[in-house]
Amino acid sequence: MSAVFSRGGMLALRGPIAILVLAIAAGGAVIGAAHWFAAKEKRESADSGRRLQEARSRVEGARRERDNLMQSAEVFRTLMDRGLLQGERRLDLVELVNSLRARHQLAALDYDIAPQRSLQLAGGRGFGSIDVLASRVKLRARALHEGDVLGFIDDLTTTPQGFYPVDRCTMRRIEAPADTIQPRVEGECTLEWITLKEKRRG
Amino acid sequence: MRHFLYLTNTRLVSLVAQGKRIVARREFAVSGAGAAAFEAYLANLRDTRTYLFVDLAEEDFRLDTIPHVGAGDRQAILGRKLTQIFRNTPYRHALLQGREAEGRRDDRVFYTAITNPELLRPWLEMLERLGVPLEGIYSAAVFSGVLLQELDLAFAHTLLVTFTPGEAMRQSYLRDREIKFSRLTPIDLEEGQSLGTMIAEETTRTWQYLDSLRNFGTDDRLEVCILLHASDRRVIEPELRDFAQLQYRLLDMEEVALKLGLKPAPLDSTCEEVMVHLFLLTKPDNHFASAEMRRFAVLRRARNALTQAAGAIVAASIAWAAWTLAPALKLSEADVRVAQQVSGLDREYDEIMKSLPSFGVGGSTMRDAVAFYNGSIRGFPTLTSFLVPVSGALRDHPTVRLTQLAWMATDDPKDTPRLARSQSREAPPVRTIAGKAAEPPPPAGPAAAADPPNPVFAGGRYQVAVVEGAMRVPANDFRGAMTEVEKLAADIAALPGYRADVMEGPLDVSPTTQLQGRLNEKAPATMETRFLLRIMREKEPST
Repeated sequence: MSAVFSRGGMLALRGPIAILVLAIAAGGAVIGAAHWFAAKEKRESADSGRRLQEARSRVEGARRERDNLMQSAEVFRTLMDRGLLQGERRLDLVELVNSLRARHQLAALDYDIAPQRSLQLAGGRGFGSIDVLASRVKLRARALHEGDVLGFIDDLTTTPQGFYPVDRCTMRRIEAPADTIQPRVEGECTLEWITLKEKRRG
Repeated sequence: MRHFLYLTNTRLVSLVAQGKRIVARREFAVSGAGAAAFEAYLANLRDTRTYLFVDLAEEDFRLDTIPHVGAGDRQAILGRKLTQIFRNTPYRHALLQGREAEGRRDDRVFYTAITNPELLRPWLEMLERLGVPLEGIYSAAVFSGVLLQELDLAFAHTLLVTFTPGEAMRQSYLRDREIKFSRLTPIDLEEGQSLGTMIAEETTRTWQYLDSLRNFGTDDRLEVCILLHASDRRVIEPELRDFAQLQYRLLDMEEVALKLGLKPAPLDSTCEEVMVHLFLLTKPDNHFASAEMRRFAVLRRARNALTQAAGAIVAASIAWAAWTLAPALKLSEADVRVAQQVSGLDREYDEIMKSLPSFGVGGSTMRDAVAFYNGSIRGFPTLTSFLVPVSGALRDHPTVRLTQLAWMATDDPKDTPRLARSQSREAPPVRTIAGKAAEPPPPAGPAAAADPPNPVFAGGRYQVAVVEGAMRVPANDFRGAMTEVEKLAADIAALPGYRADVMEGPLDVSPTTQLQGRLNEKAPATMETRFLLRIMREKEPST
């Protein structure tokens, strides 16, 4: 072995030694590259699994939304037609009340429309995409017959434009001589004039 | 591939072995142009492992015993002995042959040396010049004993006779398979002498020599084993005469070759191919070559080892990488499939989103608007829908007349709207004096308060109304009036979803209140009583 570890031996073996060193380096590089590639593939596989899961969830959500929206579409069309998202048009309400008063022959009609506000919903319920706004309206009417007051209220709540849910009413008879044409019924109701506003529209 | 050189005093035979088979043979003269031809030939085999057999007349043998000591001391003793005995040659070797049976049980040693190093010098210089990897120099005489072992020839005294290239005959004496003596005799036949006669004479002479050295007892017999080709056997065999102390055994070359597995069998009686084949079978230790002479072989082995190690490292690395990458490649294939699935899902998502109904607003806006409508407005009650069933119940009570009502939509069933009682113009003669205890319970719940500025918008699960009614009955028929009111409440409560309670009857007869009666002479025939009902309607839960 002294022949190998002598100066001459090392000189004679410098080629194979260099090859061995290169082989070790190449082997290390190959193994390192393989591990790097395997780790990369493992990461990408995990990522792709997550992407697949996300894509499935996205599609599932889209399907659900499609189904929901399909069911909601007709309802929403009706809401749009009734101007739920169009904001308050107070002149329209004034004209509506006037026309209903004439139709139901109310002897007297007083009304107050409060400033518009954000409507508090029961249970603190809220919506992410819309603001619910309302104006509180108080009506006081006098009529010859209670049916006129009830018809006025009923027509107002079922009008094809706007939403006016009446939440309070009182009605009472007014004493009047039998042979006179005077109001005999007085009604006082309170309702919310509800409109919606899309939040993204600012 | 291995290269064997068989050197005699007149010839140099080159044998190339591939595996355990001799594939090439060349013979060169040791003098004149033979050396130059050999060098040219050797140049083509300069990288082949080379083994040199020497079968020379100038090989000397000595027997000796040395004290049995440790390995290091033994090497020192043997080295010193060899130097003393063969001081003029570097080609010397000591062979340990066991220990004496008696006395100090010394180690028995067999020394051998090429006494004329000049015979080897030109050939070794040639090998050195070409850098040939010389693995060793071997004594053919010492090595020849292996033949008897391989042929299972076990005699107490054996004289192995072999023929070498270049017309010489070697006689090696082995006692119990241990070589003790060897001599090489040129085959130089005299006038009228045949090869058989010469062999007989030479072997007899050797027996006499060995006998003179007291190698034999009185009953011992020397078995002379002669390795012969069939072509020489006819000439030799008739001349050989056995006698009591000597017996000839002819070893047929073809049979020997067959037994040893040497193919093809040698074509003559020379033994070099048999020796090389035996070498391939047994691989003996080097006899004469120094470390300096063998350095090219050592370097060659080191070079090969390094190269093989490099190859092994690369191969192992590739194998390891393949082992590591195999699952990764499977993952990669799976990734491709997953990517295709994701792509398909993305397409489906896009198609779904394109197919969604749109009214110029986002889907969430649409969803929230519809959810608000369904949850808060859609089933919101109306006063008319509340009163119509109550009116139906009132038809069965024609004496009852409603005077006023207060109604509200709420989510709290305890809410009760506020209602101010009216006074009758025809009050009954008996009445309850209003006091704290006689007052009807005040309206309950937050909705009963004055209309707040920003009330919570109720869902309208409950409709609660306080109804004031008047009833004309015969004077002092309070019992009938109370019965009628309770019946009216029962009829209303019988309506689906309705509940009715009498808040205040025509006459409060509870013992905790003050009751006052004013009966006059001119009492009217009838009286008008008033009462309060609390009516509640619960919305049917939506399915």
